[in-house]
Amino acid sequence: MKKNLKRKLLLLLTVSSLAVSFPAFAENHDHHHQHETMLSTPDISNASTDSIFNITDNWTAANGKTFQLNKLGGKPTVVAMIYTSCQYVCPLTIQNIKRIERSLSAAQAGKVNFAVFSFDPKRDTPAKLTEFAKLHSITSPSWVLAQGSEGAVRKLAVTLGIKYKKVQSGDYEHDATISILDSNGVIKFQADAMNKNVDGAADALKALLH
Amino acid sequence: MKSKHSTFISTLVLSSCLFSAVAVSAEDMVRVEDMVLVPEGSFTPFFLKKDDITNSSSVATTAVDAFWLDATPVTNRKFQAFVNKHPDWHKSNIKKIFTDSHYLEHWQSTQGSADSADLDKPVVNVSWFAAAAYCEAQDKRLPSTDEWEYTLTDNDRDTENLQKQIMAWYSVPNKELPTVRSKPANGFGIFDMAGLIWEWTADFNSYMAPPDSRNSGDKNLFCGSGSLNASNLSDYAAFMRYSYRESLKGNFTGKNLGFRCAKDAK
Repeated sequence: MKKNLKRKLLLLLTVSSLAVSFPAFAENHDHHHQHETMLSTPDISNASTDSIFNITDNWTAANGKTFQLNKLGGKPTVVAMIYTSCQYVCPLTIQNIKRIERSLSAAQAGKVNFAVFSFDPKRDTPAKLTEFAKLHSITSPSWVLAQGSEGAVRKLAVTLGIKYKKVQSGDYEHDATISILDSNGVIKFQADAMNKNVDGAADALKALLH
Repeated sequence: MKSKHSTFISTLVLSSCLFSAVAVSAEDMVRVEDMVLVPEGSFTPFFLKKDDITNSSSVATTAVDAFWLDATPVTNRKFQAFVNKHPDWHKSNIKKIFTDSHYLEHWQSTQGSADSADLDKPVVNVSWFAAAAYCEAQDKRLPSTDEWEYTLTDNDRDTENLQKQIMAWYSVPNKELPTVRSKPANGFGIFDMAGLIWEWTADFNSYMAPPDSRNSGDKNLFCGSGSLNASNLSDYAAFMRYSYRESLKGNFTGKNLGFRCAKDAK
């Protein structure tokens, strides 16, 4: 009974009162609490099997070149997902990634990838991504803006823990999250992309550059 | 036409020489039979229903195109065949990023294979990544949440009975899983939509967004007005399903969480 109660408590966020009266619902959550700490626990022995590089979908960069996620290997990477028709959240995400970039010395910044993936395979063609990069004065070769298939977008979003939904207008409801990967593609840090204070992300990145 | 015919004959001859090829083609036929074409239609997700009379000028519905759907959830038998063919998804090989530590934990034999008594029960303890990989390996995909919910509503054929069935299941503690097809199919010819397991959908990590919202990243659906839109008790069942999906992550597994696959109607 006590164990059951613990399981039920895990549902507090979404269905606090309902869970108590519906054990079948609560039962599924019996071991999910362990995930809360996953990001902050570096597990070097299993680094490769923890890596997002295990996802092998193809992406197309703004320059038209096709690549897979493992191309980001060898350097830490700052990752975000956006779409270029987005009016507010996405430009702000870009601004905050640039804040992270500016917090690094020129030498450090050269040892980091900045990878931005589009939610919107239909509208965000490589040409559109190029235009968007120009609009936001993104010129550094350390940056990559990319688009992929609906399936590739969904898989990357699930892996990064980003929720999104395409709404009828063609726009996207989405989480705004900045993730920091180590050079093996393991997620080391995640932060709200809307937060102007990027110290946490910058520190996580610098720690990977030592 | 003639050349197509002869290709077919030679394929037949060729496959009769190769035992494995025969097995695969037989399996393919079963697969086709095991899917049902769900006709296009529409349904109203619970979160678009409005109680408030001032807001109910129009009831928003969600349209769904015709699609193929597995008649039953994927069984241990079928998942075992997949794992045998794709050893990357064996419980001793699966990459850590694709699952938590409970992947296929009910497969307790030393080889990590399914218990023979469980073969026709739905496979559970599978992550979204494993479920998606299974469907991709069959040239299928996971159904969208809209497709899944639309199939469950069964064109409102017997709503009252369905809601009773769902609520009865939600309110009893977990029992031993029954085999698939233990209960009659719904009006679409689909089995086990209610009362057996929870099922992964392709876009489980979606917001329940009203169609006119944009860019707001509304996370208050359960805390604020969104939850109050649910119009009556029967919608609590739907509310719970959406809440449950909302709480999942792609690497989670659950001992009542399985899946079935879908395919475009083309």
